[in-house]
Parts: sequence; structure tokens; C-alpha cells
Amino acid sequence: MKRRTFIKRGLLASGSVLVLGDLEGTRVLAQDASGTPKQGGTLTWGHSETTQNLDIHQTGTASTLRLLQNVHEPLLTIDDHFHVQPNLAASWERSQDWLTYTFHLRNDVVFHNGKKLTAADVKYSFERIKDPKTSAVSFDVFEDVAAIDAVDDHTVRVTMSKVYSPFEARITYLNCAIIPQGSGDTQGKQPIGAGAFEFVQREFGNFTRLKRFDNYFRGPAYLDEIVEREVTEATVRLTGVQTGQMTLINDIPLDRIAQVEKSPNLQVKTWHPLSWAFLNFNHKVPPFDDPDVRKAFDLMIDKQALVQGALWGQGVPTPTPSFPNSPYRNNDLEVRKQDLNQAKALLQKAGVRPASLSIKFKVTTNYPWHVQAAQIMQAWFQQAGVNVSLEQLTWSDWLSQVWKDKNFSLTMVNFFTLWEPDFLYYNIWHTGGSFNFRNISDATLDGYLDQARQSTSEDQRVTLYREAQQRIFDQAHDVILWYRNGSLAAVPALRGIDTIVQPNGSNLAFWRTWLAT
Amino acid sequence: MADEATTIEVRPGLPGDRGRAASGRARALRRIFRTSKGLVGGTLVALVVVVGVLGPVVIPHHLATQIDVLHRLAPPSAAHPLGTDQLGRDELVRMLLGARTSLYVGVLAVALSVVIGLPLGLIGGYFGGWADLVLMRIVDAIISFPVLLLALTISAVLGPNLTNATLSIGIVYAPYLARIARSEVLKVSAMPYVEAARASGAGHVWIMLRTVLPNIVPPVIVQSTISMAFAILAEAALSFLGLGTQPPTPSWGLMIQAARDYLDIAPWTALVPGAAIALSVLGLNMLGDALRDALDPSFVMEQARRAEG
Amino acid sequence: MLSYILKRLLLLVLTLWIVLTVTFLLTNVVPGNVAVMILGTRSNPETLAALEQRLGLNDPLPVQYVRWLGKTVSGRWGDSLRFDQPIGALVRQKLVTSSVLVVMALIIAVVASIPLGVIAARRQNRWQDTATSGVALVGISLPDFFWGILFILVFSRWLRWLPSSGSVDPGQDLVQSLRHALLPALALGVGLMAHLTRMTRSAMLETLSKDYVRVSRAKGLAERKVTYKHALRNAVGPVLTVAGLQLGYLFGGVIVVESLFNYTGLGWLTYQALLNRDVPLIQASVLVIAAIFMLSNLIVDLLYRALDPRIEYG
Repeated sequence: MKRRTFIKRGLLASGSVLVLGDLEGTRVLAQDASGTPKQGGTLTWGHSETTQNLDIHQTGTASTLRLLQNVHEPLLTIDDHFHVQPNLAASWERSQDWLTYTFHLRNDVVFHNGKKLTAADVKYSFERIKDPKTSAVSFDVFEDVAAIDAVDDHTVRVTMSKVYSPFEARITYLNCAIIPQGSGDTQGKQPIGAGAFEFVQREFGNFTRLKRFDNYFRGPAYLDEIVEREVTEATVRLTGVQTGQMTLINDIPLDRIAQVEKSPNLQVKTWHPLSWAFLNFNHKVPPFDDPDVRKAFDLMIDKQALVQGALWGQGVPTPTPSFPNSPYRNNDLEVRKQDLNQAKALLQKAGVRPASLSIKFKVTTNYPWHVQAAQIMQAWFQQAGVNVSLEQLTWSDWLSQVWKDKNFSLTMVNFFTLWEPDFLYYNIWHTGGSFNFRNISDATLDGYLDQARQSTSEDQRVTLYREAQQRIFDQAHDVILWYRNGSLAAVPALRGIDTIVQPNGSNLAFWRTWLAT
Repeated sequence: MADEATTIEVRPGLPGDRGRAASGRARALRRIFRTSKGLVGGTLVALVVVVGVLGPVVIPHHLATQIDVLHRLAPPSAAHPLGTDQLGRDELVRMLLGARTSLYVGVLAVALSVVIGLPLGLIGGYFGGWADLVLMRIVDAIISFPVLLLALTISAVLGPNLTNATLSIGIVYAPYLARIARSEVLKVSAMPYVEAARASGAGHVWIMLRTVLPNIVPPVIVQSTISMAFAILAEAALSFLGLGTQPPTPSWGLMIQAARDYLDIAPWTALVPGAAIALSVLGLNMLGDALRDALDPSFVMEQARRAEG
Repeated sequence: MLSYILKRLLLLVLTLWIVLTVTFLLTNVVPGNVAVMILGTRSNPETLAALEQRLGLNDPLPVQYVRWLGKTVSGRWGDSLRFDQPIGALVRQKLVTSSVLVVMALIIAVVASIPLGVIAARRQNRWQDTATSGVALVGISLPDFFWGILFILVFSRWLRWLPSSGSVDPGQDLVQSLRHALLPALALGVGLMAHLTRMTRSAMLETLSKDYVRVSRAKGLAERKVTYKHALRNAVGPVLTVAGLQLGYLFGGVIVVESLFNYTGLGWLTYQALLNRDVPLIQASVLVIAAIFMLSNLIVDLLYRALDPRIEYG
């Protein structure tokens, strides 16, 4: 499952290959295509972000999940087209009424502590997530779960109180990983899972050490050890891989990607999306309660120029946040092109005098390219006659002011890994959704989303989610700005880099990578 | 950033010293600009002040915020004599307008630290005893407080902007001023003319304000010029963390912070604001040094004796 | 002397208590809390409320204050709210890391500044004075992260002599620990050097004008001997004083350099704690930094007093 086989081997030799979907250019050295994997070696990974709490059920940061991808395993997993596949469960059935799921576990899975996987571990893990005291990130997945039963050592039955069609897809998220029974309290400091690598040591903010777990159920990894070093400063990170101090880095500084791709000493991989970003209006703050005003702001932005300016071209504008190769994506939508005259006309129609507006745009310094984007958009807003001032907030200030207290007029933020449509659309756009910090309440939209999560017809779900995207676009509830590219750079000796990036665009797995020489 | 304490020794005052001190000081000040340090320092500071005050008047603001992504990180050319930054804005214009921000930070932060620090040092040094003990503990507490905590807290509560960041800087530098003021007060209090004033039954406040204060002003001024330099640097550090000036307002600190990612491909983006900061800080420090040399009592007495012939 | 030391220690404890209380007030006045940071953009009102309860964030302030005082006195700080690690161990580890950096930076600064200060003093007000002062001042005229990046480019990227990021426990590998600390120490040292040069200069000037030095000159000793033997010995004292005073600033104020190099010392830890509103960790780090600062001041003061009993203390 961890293989990404988008690029046909034969095409590898020639430079960049543009593939629709989540892989963009991949520059791979000629030698990489051949070569037999060999065991041994340590991979030093220069990680762009600090990892936080290591408890897999509690940690919400993309950075920690990226690391823990190598330590934990969920019950089910997804392939490159987001179809649910077996993982720790070798097979499963869903009852006709969608109210019962029965999972048949593999009998060859061993945890890092030597214990074999049994149904009790699955029951324990799921109940832990369901318990509000755990403050689990995937708490909402189990809200409609009535009971979890260990039918026998290798069979688990989950009974729903009502139909929740996204269930199978949601439990493929790493945050629903299966941990050994009773290990909850120590997971934060000493993660124990069933993944290809086991946790050895961590010096907070500095590095984390993992070593190969020989009894991994899919077969042992090639690498002996992974050392994740946290290097948040972009130039320093790049220097690290250029000097060979690091084997691999993620997130090459955006302005250098083009230059680094030409470097003969590094392998580079870019893909999209790593994340998507959107501009947000507070629907409770006039004039943003008026869809015409929101549309006007949409029309003030030249999205292609924005990607050039803020992301150095390392991204693609998109009118919808669904992943490019998701079956639910509405591919009929097209990004609104910049049209300042129409924008001004819309404002006039809405009865808003641009000069009367004085708007504060809150942007977080957590993402420096957002600050750039805000400055570029500010200039366009100015051209349309609207005066917007910027306010830089630290991530914690942004979270408490904008996310929690909803105290803002205009802001922007990005999301990672929301490929599952219910997780994506319900939480962000449904009235009262947990990620709905913009106070959006659209009964029509709610209708589509409520129906979709109860629907037992895949075709109906696809239609409903496409309608939802159309509605969000027509009402300009937010302005979706771009998909951002992800990037990796590695020394020539590292092989198998095509297998690293996971379908969600963010997690990195090193099970099938090896070091030549 | 700490500063060293002055270690100028106290000389027992001779009769007529007070008057001599005044005339000697005036002479010494005039001689400052004969020393290379004083001249260079003074010129640099004057330059920054002129640009900071006149710049915004003469240069239209929109020139500094005109984004032109197609010409980003362009090396110096006819159209852009000092190149452009990462959003294509002209570096020369932004540098010139940035002087105003630095001037604002320097003056406001120092003013605040004087307003807070001077009374603390004056009262503590003059009265001694419990007042001194308590006030100096407060001073110690402020000094050992990380600037960052203060700045982050103030900006989180009051909003992130230049004024609030400057507030934090001013508070954090107040203790240095308080300490200088205090040690000067201790020296001056031992002078005969202060003893005389006390003996004549004058009130404490009168003595403090009329006799002590004027004599501690020179070292305070010296410390102020140096604090001003640090304030400008502190603004750069706070901009590194997103506090202080909000984009797109031009400020040297913000410019150098943004330029750090491009040091190897577009060094001018860091060198232009860097040079501006360096020259201002250099000028202020040199001026401060020259002032300190000039106001050294032995030097002052020398000048006074020379004047007397 | 003993009573003086005791008095100073008592005052130190008093000041630390002031710092502790002010920190507590400040961190609780700021909106937002660690629970929001922990859950981030995966939070919803229920899990947030549950977490806040679990972390004791809803208890009344006086209760939290007393609890914190108790923990500080007993030395058992508990776990960091954000990072789920014992605070004591975290702080201790980062303290060691910072110490390596600080000591290195001080050594570099002192070694560079003494010769420069001496030259400036001997040739007071002549071009050598201006030049050396200029060189030293350039050090503080540019922000330390500027030097940091420059050194990374030169020593790490170009020359490949030194690693560009990270830190290593000196207990585990002393050589690597020093190698990782060298570049950040240089970046810091350049700024420190400026202070110390000027300090050396003024201390030298002070001593050069003293009577016994004039007498030495009268005796006919070679000028050089005069300078270095008598004046330097006496000037070193104040210089080391100032160097010692820098300790406090160095431990807490180097966040920028530590962030740049991902050199995870105490300054970096405090910053992370602040960013995350991790109140107990903030309080612990700030307290430790303040304590180091005050202790180093005290030790320096005592040494100075012991070396030169003529100097009056208020």
C-alpha cells in the first residue's frame, strides 16, 4: 500500500513528468530506477516543523503525524485514489443497513512491545478515542458509535446508532491508529504502535530517533535507523541536505525549488497538494454577511499571480478544496478571474462604499507565505478602493482570537490532509461545524451535507458533495486560494523516494527507502 | 542587552568646582566635534534624523508599498538604485522611509525608559535605606525578565504593533538607566555643594531637582544615546518574531528579517537595511562614547583649568 | 562579609518571588490558553472543554498561584502542558545545552575584545581608537541573526567545516557538542565583543591615568611593560565583571540565534513555552533564567568586592 506507482518506470529517465493528481514534477537521477534494496544505514531527516505531543490519538499537528506515520498503523488504509483498503484488518464487512461493521484482523501483527494484535487492542483504542476525556482528535468519528465488541481474538464488531457513511474512510486516518491495550497513558512520551519503525528516544525540539522494527507485519524495513532533526529555518535546512549533513529534507524553501531542481547533487520531488489555503470572511461582521460583497473580494484577487507572488509558483489555484484525484471533486468549477471593475460594481450593487470600509486582515506568522499573500492581496484591495490593514499574529494568538473566539473580519489559513469529504465539508462549512470559525450558516448547504453523511449510495454522495462545492462557490462563503506543493530533497544515495509521500499529501513513510553504498 | 556601568571615580570637590564644572562642560562639548569619534558619530546621527523627519514628507508613501512581483529580488539598476525586495518593492525608498520607524522606536523607547528609570534611580540613590532596597529589587526584577515575554504579552493583550513593541523595549531598558542614575546620584550626593544645600535646610525635593538632577543629566544622556542604539536593534529582533512593525510599513528591522531567506541569492536585500541599522547604531554609539569622554570629570576639569589659563 | 552575602541572598529570593508573581500575572492576563494550542485546528468545543478541565485551567487564579508556589518550593514542577514532558528534566537538559553556548560565546568575546580594547586605549582618540572601536561596534550594529546566517553560509555551506543546525548533549559527545555550538557562539560573540571592547578600553584608560602607572613610567620601565603589566591586570577585573553580567542576558535573551540554528537551549524553550501558552513551563523557564541572572550578578559583585574593598556599595 505504501508504494506510489503513479509514474511508470519507463518515463523516469527524462526530466519532469506532469501527472494529473497529486504528483507534479519528479526529478530523479538516472541511477535510481535500478538497484536492489539493501539493508542498513541511518536516514537523517531535516524536518521543517517541530513535533509536539506524541500521543497518536491526541496529536493534531501535521508535523507530528508525519513522523508517527512510521510508528503507528490504522485498522484500514487508503490507496492513491482514496479507496479504502485493508491494513491491520485483513478484511471487513458492512451490514446492509450500514449499522454494523465487522473487521477480521490479521493474525501476524505484532506491536513494538512484543504483544500480538488482538481484538481487545482495537476495542481499547476505539473506546479511548470515543472517551471525551482523551480529547482525541477523531472524537467525532465515534460519536455515532453505539458499541465496540471483541467478538473473538481476531474479530471486532462496531455497531452504529445511526448511519454514518464516512466511518470506514475516517478510521483510515492515523489519528485512529490501534495501540496496545492499556498503553494510553504512556503514548505521549513513549509511543508504541505496530508500524515499521519503533520509537527509541526524543529530545524535544531537537531530534527524535526511531529504529527498524524487525517484526513489522509487512516485512522489515531496509533502514536501520531514522533520526528526525527539527530544522525550522528554511535556509539552514537546505544547507543541511546540500552538505550531506541530512539525508533528506521536506519543504524546500519555496523560492529555491526551481534552482534546487537543477542541482546535480540532489534528488528533488514535488507534488500537490500538500495543503490548500483559503481567504476567510467573518459572516457575522458586515459587510461580509452579503454574498455579493464576498464575491467582489473574490474578483479582486488574481489567483495565478498570487501563487506566483506568495508561493513562487509552487502551487496551483483551485476553486475547490477537494483533492485533485478525489472522486468527489467538482471539476466543472473554475476559479474566478480577477476583474476589478466587476468587483467595484458588485460592491456598489450591495450598497457598500469601498472608502467607508476599514478592515483588519489577521494573518499568522506561522506561515510566512501567508504574510506575503496578505500583502499582495492588500495591494489589490487597495486598487479596488478598499482599505485593508494587516495584523500579524502568532499561531497561538490566531488560534485563540480567530479560531476559538471568532474575533476577526478577514483572515486566511490552510489545511492539510482533509481528503475525506465529510471531514472536510461538514466540519468546515456546516452550521456549527467544529472548524466553522467563520459563523457560516447556510441551510441549503447544510441540507446537502446532512444527507451525504447518512446516504448509503456512493453515487448519491458524489452528487451531493459536488452540489455542496457548487453552493460554496456560488455564495463565495470563502475564497479558496490555492493548492500548495509539497517538496522533498534527498542526497543521491537515498533510493525509493517515490514511496515516501502518502496519499494525504503530508505524511512521510520510510518503510521502502534504502541507502545505496 | 546589558551595558557596562561607568567606573569614573569620584574626586573630592574643590571650592569653585561647581562653576568650573559648568564652564568646563560647555567647552568639552564643543571639543567633542573635534574628535573623529564625535564628528563621525554626530554626522551619522544627524543624517538619520534628517532622513527620518523629512523622508515621509518628501517621498510619497505608495512608492514603498508598490508590489511588482515580476521584478522581485532584482539587483541594483537604474530603475531601482538599491535593488528590489522579495515582493518587488524598491529598496532605496523603503530604506529612506524606514528611518522614521527607527527614529520613532529610538526616541519613544528611550523617553519611556527615562521616565521610568530616572525617578527610580534618583529616589533610591538619594534616600538610600528601605526606598533604595525596594526600588532596586524592582529594577533587578525587570532586568532579569526576558524582553520577549514582555513583548509577546503586551502584543497579545494590546495588539501587535510598533507602539506596543516599543513600549516593551522602553520598559526593559529602564533598569539600565535607573542604575546609572543611582550610581551618579550617590557620587553627586557626596559633593560639598549638596552637603551645603542640606545643611541650609532646603527640602528634599528641592535638593533633588535643583542640585542633584542637573549633575546626573550628562551620564544619563550618554546612556540614552546607547539605549537608543539598542532599541533600534531590539526592533529588528522583535520583527524577526512578527512583533513590532506590521507589513507593509517599511522598517529596517522588518526588511532585514524578511531578507534572511535570500542572503545568498540577493544579498542587497539584507545589506541595505543592515547598513542603515549599522550606520545608525554606529553613529549613536560613537556619539555616546564621545559624550562620555567629554563629560568625564577629569577631562572636564582639565578643560576648565585650561580655560582659566 | 558573611552577613552581606546572607543579606544579598535574601534579597535575591525576594526578587525571584517578584519575578515569579509578575510572570504568573502576565501569563494569565493574556488571552488564549494551552488547550487551544494542543488541539489546534482539530479542536471542537467539547474536547476543548474536557482538556481545559483536565489541565486544571479552570481553577480560580489564587488556587493556581498557590499550587504553583508549592511546586516551585518543593522543586517538583510536574509536566509541561503542551509537550507532556517533565518540566524539571526539560529545563535541566536545555540549561546544559545553553551553558555550552554561553561559555563559548563569552570566551570568544573576551579573547577578541581585550586586544582590541587595549589598542583603542593606548591610542586614545587617534585613528586606531576610532578604527578598533568601529570594528567592535560593527559587531553590535547588525542583528545577531544576520551574523548567524552569514556564518552558516561561510562556514557551513561554503567551507563545510561546521554543522549548520542542531545541538548535541555534551555528556554524550563533547566534540560534537562543541562543533554544534561554535557557529551560534560566534554569532553571539560578535555582538558581545563590542561591549567588552569598550569596557576594556575605558577600564584601561582609567588605570592608565592612575598615579602609580605614571610613577612606573617615571621609573623608566619600557612603555609596553607599563601598559601590559600594571594596567591590564587591573582592567581585567571590570571586564570580567561585565562578561559575568552578560550571563543572564545570554541565557534568556538569545532566542533569535537559538531559533535560527535550531540550537535548542533555554531561550528557545522559553520561546516555545510562550508561543504555546504553556504556563507552568513559561514560569519555570523564566524563573530559572532570572535566578541565573541574579546569581551571576551576585557572584560577580562579591568577587569585585573581594578584589577591591575600596569600592563602596549602597
